[in-house]
Amino acid sequence: MSQAPVVRLQNVTKVIGKRTIIDRVSFEVQPGEVFGFLGPNGSGKTTTIRMIVGLMGMTAGDIHVGNHSVRTEFPLAIEQVGAIVENPEMYKFLTGYQNLLHYARMNPSITKERIQEVVKLVGLEGRIHDKVKKYSLGMRQRLGVAQAVMHRPKLLVLDEPTNGLDPAGIRELRDYLRRLAQDEGTAVLVSSHLLSEMELMCDRVAILQKGQIIDIRSIRGQEGDVAATSEEVLFDVDHPDAALGILEGQGTGKIVDGTLSLSLDRAGIAAVNRRLVEAGINVYGIRVKIKSLEDQFLEMTGSDKIG
Amino acid sequence: MGKFMKLVQNENMKIYRRIRTWIMLGFIIGLPILISVGKLLTSDSNTTSSWGMMHIESVFSFILIIIFTVVIASETVAGEFTWGTIKLLLIRPWSRSAILLSKYISTMLFALFLTVIAFAVTYLINFALFGSSQAGEILGGFGGLSNGEFMLKFYLFQFISLIIIVTFGFMMSSAFRSSGLAIGLSISLLFAGSIVTGILASSDKKWVEYVLFMHLDLTTYINNPKGSISNHPMSLGFSLAVLAGYFILFNAISWTVFKKRDVAA
Ligand SMILES: Nc1ncnc2c1ncn2[C@@H]1O[C@H](COP(=O)(O)OP(=O)(O)OP(=O)(O)O)[C@@H](O)[C@H]1O
Ligand SMILES: [Mg+2]
Repeated sequence: MSQAPVVRLQNVTKVIGKRTIIDRVSFEVQPGEVFGFLGPNGSGKTTTIRMIVGLMGMTAGDIHVGNHSVRTEFPLAIEQVGAIVENPEMYKFLTGYQNLLHYARMNPSITKERIQEVVKLVGLEGRIHDKVKKYSLGMRQRLGVAQAVMHRPKLLVLDEPTNGLDPAGIRELRDYLRRLAQDEGTAVLVSSHLLSEMELMCDRVAILQKGQIIDIRSIRGQEGDVAATSEEVLFDVDHPDAALGILEGQGTGKIVDGTLSLSLDRAGIAAVNRRLVEAGINVYGIRVKIKSLEDQFLEMTGSDKIG
Repeated sequence: MGKFMKLVQNENMKIYRRIRTWIMLGFIIGLPILISVGKLLTSDSNTTSSWGMMHIESVFSFILIIIFTVVIASETVAGEFTWGTIKLLLIRPWSRSAILLSKYISTMLFALFLTVIAFAVTYLINFALFGSSQAGEILGGFGGLSNGEFMLKFYLFQFISLIIIVTFGFMMSSAFRSSGLAIGLSISLLFAGSIVTGILASSDKKWVEYVLFMHLDLTTYINNPKGSISNHPMSLGFSLAVLAGYFILFNAISWTVFKKRDVAA
């Protein structure tokens, strides 16, 4: 990771009124990397993205795209960025093609041929001359992707891009983003609250909660790693409360649905089992539960609270 | 500069690709024709003055042009926020000022387009139906202007009022991001103008001469260099200076608000 990052956020903070919505968020995305931005509803994903693309100002910190600050050299910074922020809203009274033409006119590098090329890429050839008001959500999402990649940006920012796409469309988008990253070295920043999505698509994921990044971790090529660090072992015993008392000091244990749950490695499982049996507790079963990223995510962010 | 014109081209596309715009144009063309044909059928064409008809119809046409342009001006900014398209519009390698300027220019071009059409239609239909031979009435009155000169001045002065009212609508649109509110307030400016002028005219305080409403009808200066408010004789130059002040103020507010605000649409 010695390359210069495509986008760099440094202690980005956003205060609206008295609320700190984004709190000292820092991360970098490298060329060719697909970076996931994960967080529950209201955690600040969209707000961070709005600041990256200059729709919102920041209270403190700075964001650079390449060498250019979004704050002070906006046109130079944004030239290298393609984005969809929340829903891909288009001019409904124009055709899909006219919408693309509109954005193409704002960027001198885009030729008519390039427009045709991206239309084909997102699979809208058949409907591109229809008015956007006749498009389905998925078709609008595709048009949104088309306008975002038209000028071959170095950084592609997509806020919940799979929203509204069918399974085939999601797969296509995933493959396309991976190809874009690998072949053209584009840095891709995607936000989502769909974790399974992120696991399939991203190289690294930042987990955001209440405006703060609580973790950044690699995903690709390290699947074993994720599982190994977080094995959860369930002991089915006759007196879970008593067992928990006996195991005081054996790491963090808790009782889930009448079974004893502990975080242990292989040696730990044997040790705990021996102590339980010695203490006269009946052990009916031992089960290893491998936590998915999803479980870890819910655990970290809490599953029931918004914001 | 050529690149900037592409932004204006975009704004024009968003104006003229809507059916609504062509309905507006239909009114500007149809209304004078309807009035003139109605007049032809109900009265003796020999006693009808072409210039007089053109004047009456132009007064109507201008009310419509102002309303239509205010609608366009209000929606050009506020519409982007309601549609959510502002998010995709602002993430391009252009400053917000350039984007707002392109919107302002396309709006004024639309007003100019309607004004030229209105002039052409009101002129052509009346001279086609009533001819130019008869003496008719003299619009220029005491000023010694020919009828043609009067009409040109009338259009010019009306257009200046239009610029101010539309700029006001543009400001409201940029400040409140609601086209309904912007349209409502601008049109009430248009119609409340004469009422407020009437109330203020009776006051002998000096400051009333700086109130916007007192200057929205410049056409009174065509035949009367001191204007129509006997209590407060003013000059065309003074009115233009006051309007210029408001013009700068309105635009300063539009630009400041548009540049600063966070886009959370
Ligand atoms: N304009 C605003 N004014 C005040 N608070 C805001 C504004 N926009 C967003 N917020 C608050 O900021 C927080 C983060 O919102 P944001 O839209 O960034 O969340 P998100 O992670 O994108 O959520 P979701 O998954 O629902 O899209 C929320 O608590 C929201 O209420
Ligand atoms: Mg969001």
